[in-house]
Amino acid sequence: MGHIATLFPAISRRRLPLSRDQLMLLLAAINLLFLGLDTYLAHLVSGTIVLRETIPIYFGVIAGVILLLAGLIALRNRRLAVILGSIVFVSSILVGLLGAYFHIIRASLPHAPIGSRISVSLLIWAPPVIAPLTFSLVGLWGMSAALVEEPAGSGILRILGKYRIRLPYSKTRAYLMMVSLGILATLLSSVLDHARDEFRNPWVWVPMIAGVFGTVVPAGLAAIQKPTRMDVTIYIFTMLLLIVVGVVGAVLHVQVDLASQQVIVVERFIRGAPFLAPLLFANMGMFGLIVLVSPEEG
Amino acid sequence: MNSSNEQSRNNSLRLLILGLVAVIIVVGLTLVILSITQPDAAAESNEPVNVLANSDNECVVCHSKNTPGIVDQYGHSTMAAAEVICQDCHEVDEDYPDAVEHEGTFVLGTPTTAMCEDCHEAEVAQFNQSRHSLPAYVAYAGQETLSEEMLAQYTAVPEGGYIDDKIRARNSLHAIEGPAITHFACESCHNVGKPASDGSIGQCNDCHLRHEFSLEQARKPETCNACHIGPDHPQWEIYQESPHGIAYATGGDNWHWEAESGTLTVEDFPAPTCATCHLSGFGSTGTTHDVGDRLTWFLAAPISQRRPAWQDNAVRMQGVCAECHNKEFINDFYTAGDAAVEQVNAWVAESDEIIAPLVENDLLTAQPFDEPIDFVYFNLWHHWGRTAKFGSWMQGADYVQWHGAYEILHDRAELIEMVNDKLEGAGLEPIDPGPPGPLGE
Repeated sequence: MGHIATLFPAISRRRLPLSRDQLMLLLAAINLLFLGLDTYLAHLVSGTIVLRETIPIYFGVIAGVILLLAGLIALRNRRLAVILGSIVFVSSILVGLLGAYFHIIRASLPHAPIGSRISVSLLIWAPPVIAPLTFSLVGLWGMSAALVEEPAGSGILRILGKYRIRLPYSKTRAYLMMVSLGILATLLSSVLDHARDEFRNPWVWVPMIAGVFGTVVPAGLAAIQKPTRMDVTIYIFTMLLLIVVGVVGAVLHVQVDLASQQVIVVERFIRGAPFLAPLLFANMGMFGLIVLVSPEEG
Repeated sequence: MNSSNEQSRNNSLRLLILGLVAVIIVVGLTLVILSITQPDAAAESNEPVNVLANSDNECVVCHSKNTPGIVDQYGHSTMAAAEVICQDCHEVDEDYPDAVEHEGTFVLGTPTTAMCEDCHEAEVAQFNQSRHSLPAYVAYAGQETLSEEMLAQYTAVPEGGYIDDKIRARNSLHAIEGPAITHFACESCHNVGKPASDGSIGQCNDCHLRHEFSLEQARKPETCNACHIGPDHPQWEIYQESPHGIAYATGGDNWHWEAESGTLTVEDFPAPTCATCHLSGFGSTGTTHDVGDRLTWFLAAPISQRRPAWQDNAVRMQGVCAECHNKEFINDFYTAGDAAVEQVNAWVAESDEIIAPLVENDLLTAQPFDEPIDFVYFNLWHHWGRTAKFGSWMQGADYVQWHGAYEILHDRAELIEMVNDKLEGAGLEPIDPGPPGPLGE
């Protein structure tokens, strides 16, 4: 029984067309497709996309398509789908770590005088260090979704055939921690981005507040053995809040990018406020809501 | 029982309380951190870091001793911070045109546009389509020097291939003055569009000075002033006289010179510089490196004609204007500007009519610039005509009037007198164009 049943017991008697893990995999596939697009736009900022910058772009699109295909394959051959999914998700983790490495070295000045090699200012103005880790996060949650928990809530994941691993927590609690980590990453990206404008616009404090709140609440829910109705209510409210913050943020970013004459100038959308970035809050909110669905396999 | 209920309520609210406490702590801490780091950030922006200070790159190590100035400049550039190393721009293959052997490798002393194009493809493509490209070079070198491929590229540029007797006469100054002079004169500016041996065109670093490649430098009008100055195209002087130039002179120190390209607003530039109107992404107009992309007339021509697709160009320029000026103001300004161009066109056309009897009766020498009348005839369009037109569009009243229209009238009178002297000297009837006046009267 998922947390959602704590609040709405009637829901537990209804069967969704997709299981929680299938919803997770679908969301992961959509995420990778969007990450490919988002990375393409982000890497266009410098005017020319160099070879290593194309890795996440192609990977995001190809991985997203493979995952969607794997979802279809799973209907007939789950083992093959798990293998495909696992390859994609492990690769996604690696692509994220590689990207973070490339961004970190751009955020440092190794040959500058000692004391000037790393600074908060560099972290703010360099390519976002946290952003590539989104690939890793999607890889991590995708891996979790691809591996079946037997029995539900036990934390025992079936790898392949007879091989199993035991997690210290149930899959649900692991997901909640991932939601918390994902929101924290989103929060940090948002804060570093908005620091470029020195937080002069009062609106940019909203994602910070929502992000901090959104980081703490899922972590808290994960820590609680038996959440109450109020716990789940607050969690749902938090996830909905993140979805609203994400959508409103995207609208505000588009407004900033529109020229004063309400004309679309492509370079403003590429080099100005990243209009897809706020949707990461909404994405994490949706991820968080799916966690509440029953862990039972359909 | 009561105690148990209270505990249960507290448990129910624990997430809410935990979340709110965390928000308060983090927001408070952030405010403190921001307050503390603000002065540091200001200090950092005033003292850019030399990212090559401890570099072990062999070019940097050697040139730090031999030519420390350029190494220091490059160390403070954003290109160096972005890990573009000396070799990326200077090192070439042995068989590369103009390659020079240097310390066991082959280099170009001055990288060509082909190197810039590796990263700035769109910018180079825009530049190649501009007046700053081949047309600038052809103005002194002539199109005979171009390969077939370049000739095709040249004629594809709006300014390419446009040449009449007046332009031809102007271009002949290059041959008349000779290389000892033109090396420091014509070529200094017009080489901005000179082809390189590798087939690429132009010199990016004429506007983006090496080795800092600073946005501020490229955006400041003093950069354009290197060429757009003097009696034939005094845009620098006109700008200084204009309201835009006054805003720059009095408030420019506080403008955001290093703001991200493509995101500029009136908060960054409360008034425009040359770059804002002609090149920068601003308002509803995107960034370009084609200086003619927003212009409606060939103002530099003796008799100005509309540019191809001038209506589209006007939309782009007016997209910049509209950030500060309303539509009515802009339309009125364009109507007035067009009228000024037509007036100058009429005076220049009249000067052609004035001199026509000398041409018809073969009373002018074949060689340009060998008798006083050539200079008067030339100055009328090349100096005063163009100055009046530029002055009108850039709001430099003195340059429209005393350095423009007044000088045109002065030269007109002088031209009539010179023409009549020659006609009478040849026993022909003098001309009488009548008193000067505005178009249509």
